[in-house]
Amino acid sequence: MSGAVGREPVFPTRQSLGLMKSKLKGAETGHSLLKRKSEALTKCRAEITRRIDEAKRKMGRVMQIAAFSLAEVSYAVGGDIGYQVQESAKQARFRVRAKQENVSGVFLPQFESYTQDGVNDFALTGLGKGGQQIQRCRETYARAVETLVELASLQTAFLILDEVIKVVNRRDINSELDELDREEFYRLKKVSGKKQRDTAAADAEILAARKKAEAEEAAQAASGVVAEEPKAAESEAADILGEQEDNDVIF
Amino acid sequence: MEGLFFNVNGGFVEGIVRGYRNSLLTGQNYSNLTQCETIDDVKLQLGPAYGDFLATLPPNPSTSALAGKMTDKLVSEFRYLVAQSVGSTAKFLEYLTYGYMIDNIALLITGTLHERDTRELLERCHPLGWFETLPVLCVATNIEELYNSVLIETPLAPYFKGSLSHQDLDELNIEIVRNTLYKNYLEDFYNFVQTHPDFSGPTQEIMSEILQFEADRRAINITLNSFGTELSKQERRKLYPEFGNLYPEGSLMLSRAEDVEGVALAVSAVSDYKSFFDAVGLSQGGSGLGGMGGGPADGKSLEDLFYQKEMEMSKFVFTRQFTPAVVYAWMKLKEQEIRNVTWISECIAQNQKERIGNFISVF
Repeated sequence: MSGAVGREPVFPTRQSLGLMKSKLKGAETGHSLLKRKSEALTKCRAEITRRIDEAKRKMGRVMQIAAFSLAEVSYAVGGDIGYQVQESAKQARFRVRAKQENVSGVFLPQFESYTQDGVNDFALTGLGKGGQQIQRCRETYARAVETLVELASLQTAFLILDEVIKVVNRRDINSELDELDREEFYRLKKVSGKKQRDTAAADAEILAARKKAEAEEAAQAASGVVAEEPKAAESEAADILGEQEDNDVIF
Repeated sequence: MEGLFFNVNGGFVEGIVRGYRNSLLTGQNYSNLTQCETIDDVKLQLGPAYGDFLATLPPNPSTSALAGKMTDKLVSEFRYLVAQSVGSTAKFLEYLTYGYMIDNIALLITGTLHERDTRELLERCHPLGWFETLPVLCVATNIEELYNSVLIETPLAPYFKGSLSHQDLDELNIEIVRNTLYKNYLEDFYNFVQTHPDFSGPTQEIMSEILQFEADRRAINITLNSFGTELSKQERRKLYPEFGNLYPEGSLMLSRAEDVEGVALAVSAVSDYKSFFDAVGLSQGGSGLGGMGGGPADGKSLEDLFYQKEMEMSKFVFTRQFTPAVVYAWMKLKEQEIRNVTWISECIAQNQKERIGNFISVF
């Protein structure tokens, strides 16, 4: 279909036939491998999308509960504890560990949250009143952050996976795209060729029609229509002095 | 006899406070508030009681802004009372502000310890705990300077002296410092109302009861909140106020308690507290440490029950006359009201109406 344009310059010998065959085989294997990889990745991405959806819904719920537990704290304590909590926190209790997961050759980062036991910097906050609410609020927020970390992990994986899938698919598609390109070019050439031909035909027709018309006029003139001509000229001259209104002349 | 001369100096203040009491929100107001759909509606409902103070709020204000404005009203009313009072009543009102001062000083100590610019903290200080020399404390750059200026400049010096050194401020957890101060404050206040000649009579009766309750409540809360923390039993014991219904046997048992059951046992001598513990189901092993979500008694926690009790006591104070204790009661009621409104508007803002009834209304 592509004609001679994209064809590999092959000299027709037995040796190059063998060469070409092995090349074709390699290309096919590569293609199917890429195809499989792309499928695996797409599947993985679908899975991640589903989990992101879940995580987001969960986050909505957890955040709501967490915000509400803060309201409980402010009710129980009757004041702002924010500053004190900020200042007394020295060590992180909630920590995140990053590791990598291998999905068909793609390294996806994964965040894992864990709590450092024994670190509890503001355990005594609200000792006089509201301490239990504060501790419970802290636990609720720890759960909220856990969900956030999970979501962050999933979204990072999603972004990377998306990029990789695009690259893999492009490798696969590139050759097809080239083919399409060539086809398109050929089609355009064909179309413009046809158009040229059509225009030429149309030109020829018009030319023929004009010639024919001229020939007919000439024939009519020859058969005594000429006598009417002076008459027409006279009536035209009479018209100027006639009763018809002239156009006003405006200076 | 106590009523004979009280009105000469204290009558006006008492009258004003009784007027303030009438503007407290009633059960009807609260049921209107819980019907609201937005914070703007809440604002509208609060209009008669709070008037101008809410006028400057933007449409759909945050709950904290709303609470701030409500506190402003409390503060301005209280300042008016302070300005109108003389003699022992003035002294009494001064005592009321010490609790807030302790919070403010604790804030500044925290700031100084972490080498923050304490001037920025001034605006976070509670306005009721404001005293003229508070900004002077911001000059201190290290904890020793701060300690010295606290001793010199503040009315809280007696609470520091003898129980806290400047090394303590550095080493002890700020919460321990705060609670030590508060303990000294309560004891001093108790002593003040017990011994002052002007207060023999209704003030002494009422305030003793209220302060004893407050002392017990703190002791119980501190014990419950200290489980699972590094606070040792000896340290814990030092934080218990040395008066109250539980003192001394109950306090001793509290200081030895290792779990909720121990606390329940320690307070069982006082029938009120025993019934609280029974109500939240803590005495039978307890499903979790009570809490607003956990307790079986209509979602009431131990703290809720304490608040409820406090509010009822404050309400009954108004049945007595010739005493500045009504100011104390009014302040407590007003603070509870602010907490209630904050809670309701928080429930509305977060669309969590199931628990909106979890406030305390006594009128």
